[in-house]
Amino acid sequence: MNRVRPTLNRLSSRLQLWLQSPWVDAIAILAWGFLLLRYWLNGQLYVLIHPNYFPLAIGGGFLLLVFGGFRIWELSQNYQKPQAQIDQQSLQHISLFPKGWSTALLLISLLLGLFITPRNLGSYVALQRGIMDSLPATQIQPQQFRTASRPEERSLIEWIRLLNINPEPDTYRGQRVNVTGFVIYPPNLPQNFIFIARFVITCCAADAYPIALPVMLPDTNRGAYPQDSWLQVEGEMTTEVLNNQRRLTIKADKLTPIPEPRNPYEY
Amino acid sequence: MPSIIVSKLNAVFTLFLSLLVEAMPFLLLGVMLSSLLLWLVDERKLLYYVPTNPFLGAIFGSLFGFMFPVCECGNVPVARRLLSQGVPASAAIGFLFAAPTINPIVIWSTWVAFRGQPEVVVLRILFSLIIAITLGLVFSAQKDLRPFLQKALARLIPQPDFTEKAVDEMPKSSLLRSGTYIMGQSASPVRLQSMPMWKAEGQGVQAVATMPQTSFSFSSIFIRPTRDRVGLMIESGVQEFRELGGMLVVGSAIAAIIQTVIPREIILSLGYGPISSIMAMLLLAGVVSICSTVDAFFALSFAATFTTGSLLAFLVFGPMIDIKTVGLMMSIFQTRAIIYLMILAAQLTFLLTLAVNLNLNY
Repeated sequence: MNRVRPTLNRLSSRLQLWLQSPWVDAIAILAWGFLLLRYWLNGQLYVLIHPNYFPLAIGGGFLLLVFGGFRIWELSQNYQKPQAQIDQQSLQHISLFPKGWSTALLLISLLLGLFITPRNLGSYVALQRGIMDSLPATQIQPQQFRTASRPEERSLIEWIRLLNINPEPDTYRGQRVNVTGFVIYPPNLPQNFIFIARFVITCCAADAYPIALPVMLPDTNRGAYPQDSWLQVEGEMTTEVLNNQRRLTIKADKLTPIPEPRNPYEY
Repeated sequence: MPSIIVSKLNAVFTLFLSLLVEAMPFLLLGVMLSSLLLWLVDERKLLYYVPTNPFLGAIFGSLFGFMFPVCECGNVPVARRLLSQGVPASAAIGFLFAAPTINPIVIWSTWVAFRGQPEVVVLRILFSLIIAITLGLVFSAQKDLRPFLQKALARLIPQPDFTEKAVDEMPKSSLLRSGTYIMGQSASPVRLQSMPMWKAEGQGVQAVATMPQTSFSFSSIFIRPTRDRVGLMIESGVQEFRELGGMLVVGSAIAAIIQTVIPREIILSLGYGPISSIMAMLLLAGVVSICSTVDAFFALSFAATFTTGSLLAFLVFGPMIDIKTVGLMMSIFQTRAIIYLMILAAQLTFLLTLAVNLNLNY
């Protein structure tokens, strides 16, 4: 025990020194730029933010690369004269964290980002946030919108928008439906019902808002369609009384499993 | 059960990263602009434009943020310098409380986050201005600010201008007072120490020799950028980005965890009450020290469950007071003054945002 402690102390002080090195800062900045660009190149940016802000994230990634690269170049220029001629007094910032912590935090988040793939939000978050068949407040309230005139061409969000304007389910009775989304098992509904759901985002996954329509399955067993799997649902609109509420429901006649789309959200 | 834990972890991680990825470019822009302007603009020369009227001074100070788009970590050192250079308290405090919100980057990021609810953007600006100006006015009522300030700073601040009164009361002893005087400026000699440093500097130039008085044209507030200054700019930018980035990581993690781990019933019961939601958000704003450039995204993640008034409370109060800013303000004020400021700011935010909640409900 007595031998371990000095070793640990030495390690931690070495780590602290290392974290305070300007080189580590520069590398962290460079790597964050790389991470942003990687998300863009492998399409994972779709899972994280609204496509409107892709240019910002991409531009930010390039800027970080430039910034970090310039910093490294500058450090290597001054490498011969380690006496930094930077006058500490003239730096404006007072920090709250102990020295090195911020760098450590940036590096930890960076490593998480590099090694864990961000996954779509699924049924768990949808149930946690509460599934609605109306639009969230953060969504731009449309002054006018044009929806596909043929009902089977409407996407899930277009159906929800229609419901927002005219909530009477009987209006849509008998119309054909063809939508895609992921499966949620509604907690209080019988075995032959699932929700077909999508997340709507305005800005980034943090404001993802689940929308869903109930689906009445042709058979009584929903076990064939596991939660969070993606489905294409074809069928007809009908009205069902679910939990004492009349709701627009899809009476499915064909359900096809589909791969998870590259861009899982609707806008 | 393990599948629920996996989904929870997944959700926390995705939310955390999405906040970081959305906020990082804004943070970078904010840092770049602020270090650029800090090194290009000579704020000492800007001070010549500060009006002495407390109300106008507070407004001027509050809008100063457009010249110095600093978030709440950058504004404290600037406000400290302003005070030490003798800028009227109303302007310095107006700047301290409004600058983190009233600047182009913050307004833009709030707009991006809440483009569906433009009233949030407008009210955020309006409320921050109202509170900053009120605080500036309240503190300008205190003639001598020094008892409220940290000793090191108080020593730098010139004595308030009591000379006129003193001259009236004891006309005969006026010659016996010690100190350095500037002659020929007014009917009676003006004591140098009673003047703010920035005014005294100008007077000094005039008094010492027949040097032509420098005229302060707008262009002269810019410093000529040199190679050295660019190095400094980058260095300060890196430092700022690192500090704020660390704070952003912590803030995003807290937001993601609250969103996924706390049971929905608790969040809903807090979030739907017009009063409880504001109290919860004020508390959250005080604890989560996320930078004002990107706090709109944090607030956005609560938009579906919390009242608009409470989101505003977070957006208005957060940049003014949180653990981080209080830590920084210790370098300016005595604890007593910080407590006054906190209470005043919290009360004003509460009242203004409650009005929003009640108005929107009916």
